[in-house]
Amino acid sequence: MENNDASSPDRKLQCSDVSKCFQLLERILDGELVEECEEMLQEKLDKCQPCFAHFHLEQAIREVLKTKCTKQPLPDKLAESIRQMIKDPR
Amino acid sequence: MSEVQRRKYSQEERSAVFDGEFMPHIDSMYNFAFRLTFDEDDAKDLVQDTYMKAFRFINSFEQGTNAKAWLFRILKNSFINDYRKKSKKPATVDYQEVETFYNSDDVDYQSTSDLRAESVRDMLGDEISNALNGLAVDFRTVIILADLEGFTYEEMAKILDIPIGTVRSRLHRARNLLKETLKGYAQSMGYGRDEEEDLND
Repeated sequence: MENNDASSPDRKLQCSDVSKCFQLLERILDGELVEECEEMLQEKLDKCQPCFAHFHLEQAIREVLKTKCTKQPLPDKLAESIRQMIKDPR
Repeated sequence: MSEVQRRKYSQEERSAVFDGEFMPHIDSMYNFAFRLTFDEDDAKDLVQDTYMKAFRFINSFEQGTNAKAWLFRILKNSFINDYRKKSKKPATVDYQEVETFYNSDDVDYQSTSDLRAESVRDMLGDEISNALNGLAVDFRTVIILADLEGFTYEEMAKILDIPIGTVRSRLHRARNLLKETLKGYAQSMGYGRDEEEDLND
């Protein structure tokens, strides 16, 4: 069962290999290591507080970037003027 | 592009490829252009130029391959060649030069326990957006490509003409810088103080 509490007594408070773990977590979040990692990931997050916190922080950052920085409204007529330019390239 | 001699598209095929595969990406393209230039008119010109080039070189686009990545690569190159030069701002250090000096895979991974996922989620769009816009262009670019547009490391390597290892380490550094800024915002909003004390006990 997934344990999503921000803190849990089951987790150790020090990560013995921050560098390797965090790099792995970030690659998983970036979608680079999907299949291999599902189980390993859950186990790690259940057992290690620094990994848990890092994973959720990195996940939150990706989410807010995706939801809050992609809404630049397209200027009126830009698409139209591009279509016009290729029809009539001179 | 590869040296494979592709057959030329007919007039109708050109229009079909342009409308069907290129135009659907215009929102993402404009968002990218705007976040590179910070100016609506420049962004508009950049997107227009990119689409004109895409049309002109349409025969080197292979149907069924990733049109979005192909277009982003053209846009990024146009930006570097035309817009960065034009810019009146003093030249900033090209991160790529600095980067190759250091071992790019030797990246420092460390815990940022003083920034919490909850405080990041509570931030306003403007804060996130300003934090992103405050990054140097090479860092900003990898975050836009990865997090806003969902490109894979491999696609980013092709768009930026850099090795995958460099993509990964640059992205990691970019996110660390972003976290530093967000941490500053979070502290000024008073987030995370209590938790910090708890952890330090």
